[in-house]
Amino acid sequence: MRRILVACQLAALLCVASRALGATEHVGIVKSLSGDVTVAREGSVMKAGPNLKLFQGDLVQTGPNGKAGLILEDDTVISLGSNSRLAIKEFAFKPNEKKLSLVARIYQGTVSFLSGQIAKLAPRQVHIETPSATVGVRGTHVLVRVD
Amino acid sequence: MGFLVRLILLLSFISFGSGCANKTLVALAPDPDGKVGALTVTTDAGSVAIDQAYQATTVHDPKEVPTKPAALEKDAVDRMFAEALSIQPKRPEHFLLYFDKETTLNAASQNLIPAILAGIRERGSEDISVIGHTDTVGSAEYNTELSRRRAAAVKELLVGQGVPPDAVRVTSHGKENPLVPTGDNVYEPRNRRVEVDVR
Repeated sequence: MRRILVACQLAALLCVASRALGATEHVGIVKSLSGDVTVAREGSVMKAGPNLKLFQGDLVQTGPNGKAGLILEDDTVISLGSNSRLAIKEFAFKPNEKKLSLVARIYQGTVSFLSGQIAKLAPRQVHIETPSATVGVRGTHVLVRVD
Repeated sequence: MGFLVRLILLLSFISFGSGCANKTLVALAPDPDGKVGALTVTTDAGSVAIDQAYQATTVHDPKEVPTKPAALEKDAVDRMFAEALSIQPKRPEHFLLYFDKETTLNAASQNLIPAILAGIRERGSEDISVIGHTDTVGSAEYNTELSRRRAAAVKELLVGQGVPPDAVRVTSHGKENPLVPTGDNVYEPRNRRVEVDVR
């Protein structure tokens, strides 16, 4: 009886642990920055620094004197001018599981977007959304300004 | 009174929604290697395609088709995006490693290790991917397992040289991300590799 109980507890623990591990897989990093740059994640806002890991759902924001460069796990390079806001809404780079997608949303500002391996492997799965349009990125260097 | 307030609120929403807010401009620039890619811009009303450098389209209203693509001056584009372009990080550095057998690097790949370590130092990298790849011969399970073991061996090697273990992520793309695209069941030694990406 006790052995079953322990096994159940162990299974539950493994389940929680694996979920936590899955959720902690980062999708990119902040690589370069100057001035005020913040990242909003699950309701809290933190100051960004070099090599800060980014997760799906993160919103990167630059202040009036801020700018930032991001590198995603598939080699996509995104850079933001001042007063810009960009969210990584969706990111999947798992060719072996045939899971490939990238959706970034620009709410405001100026953004340079250099597409990476997802755009090469699945050109229809890379999108940049703005409040008024959706950009399909076949490759490679796309510039977007949202007033 | 309540009606008036609601009316004013409604009017302000309408003017906000249809006003100048949220104008989108999209331009295509040459790739760093000089090639030119392609993009499409789509609204509720339709879509336009761009496949030439420094062509741009604008969207004022999601209910209208994007404007016909027009050429912009390179200087004007460079000015408009000067801040973003000035902070653009270097693209990640990639290294390809090949094996003699099982998890033993061949001599040429062994000699690449110092360059990988130098790349990590120069970039102050804390985000390194070690990715196993296979060719399309044999079962996916066997290939994926082998390429993952090879990738894990490369991680051990880097960690042995002082790279922090939590800076290195090991994955396998199996046969789904080939260096040289082939059909199924094609022996291609160039595809049986481990890739190290330094960010």
